[in-house]
Amino acid sequence: MNNQREGSKNHSNIEATNTNPWLLHLIQIHDTAFPTGSFAHSFGMETYIQESDISNEDDLKAFCDMYLRQNLASTDAIIAQEAYRLAKENDLQGLIRLENICHAIKLSPETRKGSMMMGRQFLQTVQPLNNSELFTIWCEKLKNKEIKSHYPVVYGIYTAMLGVDLRTSLETFLYSSITSLVQNGVRAIPLGQNSGVQTIFSLLPVIQETTSRVMTLDLEHLDNNSIGLEIASMKHEFLHSRLFIS
Amino acid sequence: MSLQASLNKRPKHDGRLSMEFQYRGNKTVLSNCYQNPPLRASRPLYINPANRSEATVYLVETSGGIVEGDHNVFDIDIKEGADVCLIPQSATKIYPSYNGIWSSQDMDITIGPKASLSFKTEAVIPFEQARFNSKTVIQMTSDSTFLWGDILSPGRVARGEVFEYTDVRTNFQVWMDDECLIYDPLLISKDNMGLKKMGMLEDHLFIGSMWFVTPTIEEFDIRELNERLQESPHSKASASMLEGKAVNVRWLASDLVDLKKEMNRIWDEFANYIV
Repeated sequence: MNNQREGSKNHSNIEATNTNPWLLHLIQIHDTAFPTGSFAHSFGMETYIQESDISNEDDLKAFCDMYLRQNLASTDAIIAQEAYRLAKENDLQGLIRLENICHAIKLSPETRKGSMMMGRQFLQTVQPLNNSELFTIWCEKLKNKEIKSHYPVVYGIYTAMLGVDLRTSLETFLYSSITSLVQNGVRAIPLGQNSGVQTIFSLLPVIQETTSRVMTLDLEHLDNNSIGLEIASMKHEFLHSRLFIS
Repeated sequence: MSLQASLNKRPKHDGRLSMEFQYRGNKTVLSNCYQNPPLRASRPLYINPANRSEATVYLVETSGGIVEGDHNVFDIDIKEGADVCLIPQSATKIYPSYNGIWSSQDMDITIGPKASLSFKTEAVIPFEQARFNSKTVIQMTSDSTFLWGDILSPGRVARGEVFEYTDVRTNFQVWMDDECLIYDPLLISKDNMGLKKMGMLEDHLFIGSMWFVTPTIEEFDIRELNERLQESPHSKASASMLEGKAVNVRWLASDLVDLKKEMNRIWDEFANYIV
């Protein structure tokens, strides 16, 4: 009761809403109904499911924990962060070079293609919602086939243009990547919805911890150490039956 | 003088090997060669029965290994139409860095139009406490050919030394004109391990990588190669085609001899494909 009274007297809630005009839109772009096509990509996880290495909730948690700490933290999250910084500096040439690296560091064709497909779908969906100059130029470059439009780069640029702070941008990037993966795992293993909810909940501290670590890193820290996942993603192309594109 | 001070005073080696190859008359010649110890190159040999004009050169490291603070530079320029095969004389051994100083190797390779480079598979073996930073950049054209194999070892496995090194950073890049085709950094430190996790190296010790880029690669039967790779009981491996321009083959293995045998077999297949 006291808290409620405190809350009603405190105007900071209203101020918070005013200073974060992007908050609801950020929730909107991470809604499962938002058309990025992430439901169609497992980025190699399906190979592990088919080989029975992931068959229950604990396996899924272990896989997602590795995916966060060793894969996303070493590649896509660093790239999203760099794209955010370059976008803030309006460094178009730097962004084009970054996209080149983002494309070439993905050494499994399906992972490479998946990142591009999601990036393009995201870009085309949000294009009418943002008229910042840099974002408009990026859309033009895709139209002219000058860029591939990888998802981490587009996401970094878009959140920078929205005015989202870097930590929130990275946290939501990691969160959306991991929720898609968990939901796809729930469908493919299969597991109950509660297992999915519990898995994501258990990974929330890992997302925050990973965000803090990524914020201390730069392009010099990119690494492809998750070789097992890369091989799984390469093998995925040749599986007999597949639920996911990657 | 303390032991530490004397270690810090060790003169470090700055090895350099610069080679330029040209196609002259009906064969590839080593038209320019600068060698600074401990790096040396053999005379060109013409020993490839399938391509008598190809120059084969052995790369020699006379000191036997890279020691704390050493810096080796390879600068290789293969001009239009030249065919070159480079064979490292032995594995690259990285000695312990007791003073914490990194040793490093830079390799810059340019492959001109209609030229080719085949680089034989060898291993990098970082000893306990080693710190090693290597960067390899290949600049090629869309009508040139490139075949490369390498192995990253966890250490001197026979004496039980597995991932005892301090840091190993490798960065391998292939550029086709202005397009970055392959960007492959590995960064393994003693304290960032987690290497045994699913998706990482799992239960394996050795990372094998092979890259093959040639103008007609799109016709290569990647599915068939991938099926054969799955039959190996010694390793986990897969092959894939990148952009219709390059083949990437990756291995995770626990036995160096078996891995090398398999990689040499695939390397020979690719080499025959060029001819």
